[in-house]
Amino acid sequence: MFYREAGQFSTTYSQDQGIWSIKQDKWATFAIIGFAFFIIPLFASPYLLTVLLQLLVGCMAALALNILTGYCGQISLGTAGFMGVGAFAGYKFATGMRVLGGDGGAVTAATELVPMIPAVENIFVAILLAGAVTAAFGILFGLPSLRIKGFYLAVATLAAQFFFQWSFIRFEWLYDYASSSTIQAPRLSLMDGWVLPFKVPWFTWDLQFFWGTVDFTMKVSGPGYADKLHQYLIGLIFVVLFGFIAKNLMRGRIGRSFMAIRDMDIAAELIGIRPLRTKLLAFGISSFMAGIAGAMTLFLYLEALEGAEAFFILDSFLFLFMVIIGGLGSIMGTYLGAAFITLLPIFMVNFLPWAGGLVGMSINTATVEHIQLMVFGGLIIFFLIVEPLGLARLWQISKEKLRQWPFPY
Amino acid sequence: MTMTQQDAAAEAVPASADGEGHLAEHDATVREAHRRAIGDVMLEVDNITLRFGGVKAITDVSFNIREHEIFAIIGPNGAGKTSMLNVINGFYHPQDGTITYKGNVRQRMRPYEVAMGGIARTFQNVALFRGMSTLDNMMAGRLTKMHGAAERAFDKSLADIPVVNFLTYPFFWTADFLMDAFYWGPYQKEEERHRRRVEEIIEFLEIVDIRRTPVGRLPYGLQKRVELGRALAMDPQLLLLDEPMAGMNVEEKEDMSRFIIDVNEEFGTTMALIEHDMGVVMDISDRVVVLNYGRKLGEGTPDVVQKNQDVIDAYLGVSHDRPG
Ligand SMILES: Nc1ncnc2c1ncn2[C@@H]1O[C@H](COP(=O)(O)OP(=O)(O)OP(=O)(O)O)[C@@H](O)[C@H]1O
Ligand SMILES: [Mg+2]
Repeated sequence: MFYREAGQFSTTYSQDQGIWSIKQDKWATFAIIGFAFFIIPLFASPYLLTVLLQLLVGCMAALALNILTGYCGQISLGTAGFMGVGAFAGYKFATGMRVLGGDGGAVTAATELVPMIPAVENIFVAILLAGAVTAAFGILFGLPSLRIKGFYLAVATLAAQFFFQWSFIRFEWLYDYASSSTIQAPRLSLMDGWVLPFKVPWFTWDLQFFWGTVDFTMKVSGPGYADKLHQYLIGLIFVVLFGFIAKNLMRGRIGRSFMAIRDMDIAAELIGIRPLRTKLLAFGISSFMAGIAGAMTLFLYLEALEGAEAFFILDSFLFLFMVIIGGLGSIMGTYLGAAFITLLPIFMVNFLPWAGGLVGMSINTATVEHIQLMVFGGLIIFFLIVEPLGLARLWQISKEKLRQWPFPY
Repeated sequence: MTMTQQDAAAEAVPASADGEGHLAEHDATVREAHRRAIGDVMLEVDNITLRFGGVKAITDVSFNIREHEIFAIIGPNGAGKTSMLNVINGFYHPQDGTITYKGNVRQRMRPYEVAMGGIARTFQNVALFRGMSTLDNMMAGRLTKMHGAAERAFDKSLADIPVVNFLTYPFFWTADFLMDAFYWGPYQKEEERHRRRVEEIIEFLEIVDIRRTPVGRLPYGLQKRVELGRALAMDPQLLLLDEPMAGMNVEEKEDMSRFIIDVNEEFGTTMALIEHDMGVVMDISDRVVVLNYGRKLGEGTPDVVQKNQDVIDAYLGVSHDRPG
């Protein structure tokens, strides 16, 4: 009744090419973004914010993978590895590319590390640079895609994943020769010292007016220093911005060339699309975003991590699940899938023991984990067989139904 | 279905003779009046030989295609017709022989370079991008024509200066990429400009109401039409059609023949088409080349070829399955 396009006409091609086909969708999108920016901060606990940060990282990584696999048809099992590249690149930039000082002898606790460049102090710059470095690696590792396809390409990207996991331990320079091979996000802040002598609603993410001061300083990174809320906001900016960019790219000429390669590469070449260039562009864009997701993991979400463990092969698979369940070749599906895969385990951890208690069963965490795997496995089979286009397609079908409601014809 | 040339011709006669079909409107004299005059040789195929291991798909075949003409390649199954188009497209590389396009002998080329040179193609088995809508399929046909505003500026001022072009291109490319990413001003205009052209073709082909439909869901006949649309969206100078009417019913064949003739008349597009339906071939083509077992049997106007004894033997001797 209320969800329909009645009376909405496109009068120009630019309107017709818009992101949203129906006004209601546009309002819904803005409402969700507005809610995430302005309402969630009012009540979110640090725990909820951590969950949301995990979700934002998942969204970013799944978006990266969906561009490569869902839109361009190049299967990748190396998403986590590329994220790791982003995390380490972000770390090295933010700490000034430190190298070992002294005579190059044995590394001791006293050995000094000397920065080679001024440390990047702006988190946006650090994260974008991390993306750029990862894009370069992505293009390099995408080169085989000209010759190999499908399953074989998946194996090649798997090799990349293992190579990266290995490098995150092997190359000590990456983690500044720390004995534990872990890296810690440096302290980063934004708008340091910007103070307003009166309060404005929301600027402090509470509803107090006018008394007191507003300190704009955002503590965006560094264990024990950062403010989860600020980290959440930075993460949200990235996810919204890149969601918008991805949508624009995919509905334009670049997206069309990707989908052409995906659907029928021979025909694509015969209408003038250069296969190698196009595939490498997909690898570049995708790994740029994966790198950003990795840098977000380091700076915003985990803050201290061990490369080979935080960007493990299983994570690559989880991102692939997100994309399959959410919908290959759909931006909105990416977000649905990421939300589903991230939130379902959290929901089950809290819900299953309680539900078990109701029927007099005690369910421990190990059991919950097993049930999770079973649910994921079952869902993936379901989506691959019944609805390969994922949640996004189910959503679209229900919208079509809704448009006709209450008259089914 | 086994069918000889005579059967095929006989079948096509009522369709064009009953006055209902659009073909009737285009009888030879009317057509001649509308047509642009057939011009110089556009594409010259010279002594092409193509082998796959021991199999000789094409042996020493030569012919030429002239500007504005409708040129037909016929022959029984496995005669090497599709292979010939693949050679022209740069998809197969012949062991011997040369291809001269618009006066230049062509070096070994990649298919996308051939496409950029103005040669478009449809396929024997529909090769659409199944996950995309009709509109997106056709917009994809314009990809070689879509340029960023920065790229255009680059082309005008810097493209010919060595070293400088190499060093500055990345900046122009990045500028275009950012405009794409934000769907910003100049890019949006470019998108609109090409959309307008595509809409013209959509109207021309009478597929307005399936604009938004994913092509995978369309019936076969319409898919063939969309594929023609995608090729037309490239604004090609030479259009290669591989059995555009295969598997169609009489009505659909008439529509398709009419589109082919209209394209030829309105846009002046030169066309080379492969077709098994002799009636159609005799109706719409200006000249015909006949292949058999990879060799050229004959060439000439439809009536001359039809009377050629070798051709008749080939068609009578080899029974062939017509797809559909
Ligand atoms: N890629 C290939 N590898 C090996 N042999 C091939 C290849 N392509 C074509 N051939 C062979 O070349 C010969 C000519 O094939 P082609 O497809 O050109 O025939 P055609 O005239 O288009 O036939 P049809 O009417 O069935 O479409 C056939 O014997 C075929 O088996
Ligand atoms: Mg063929």
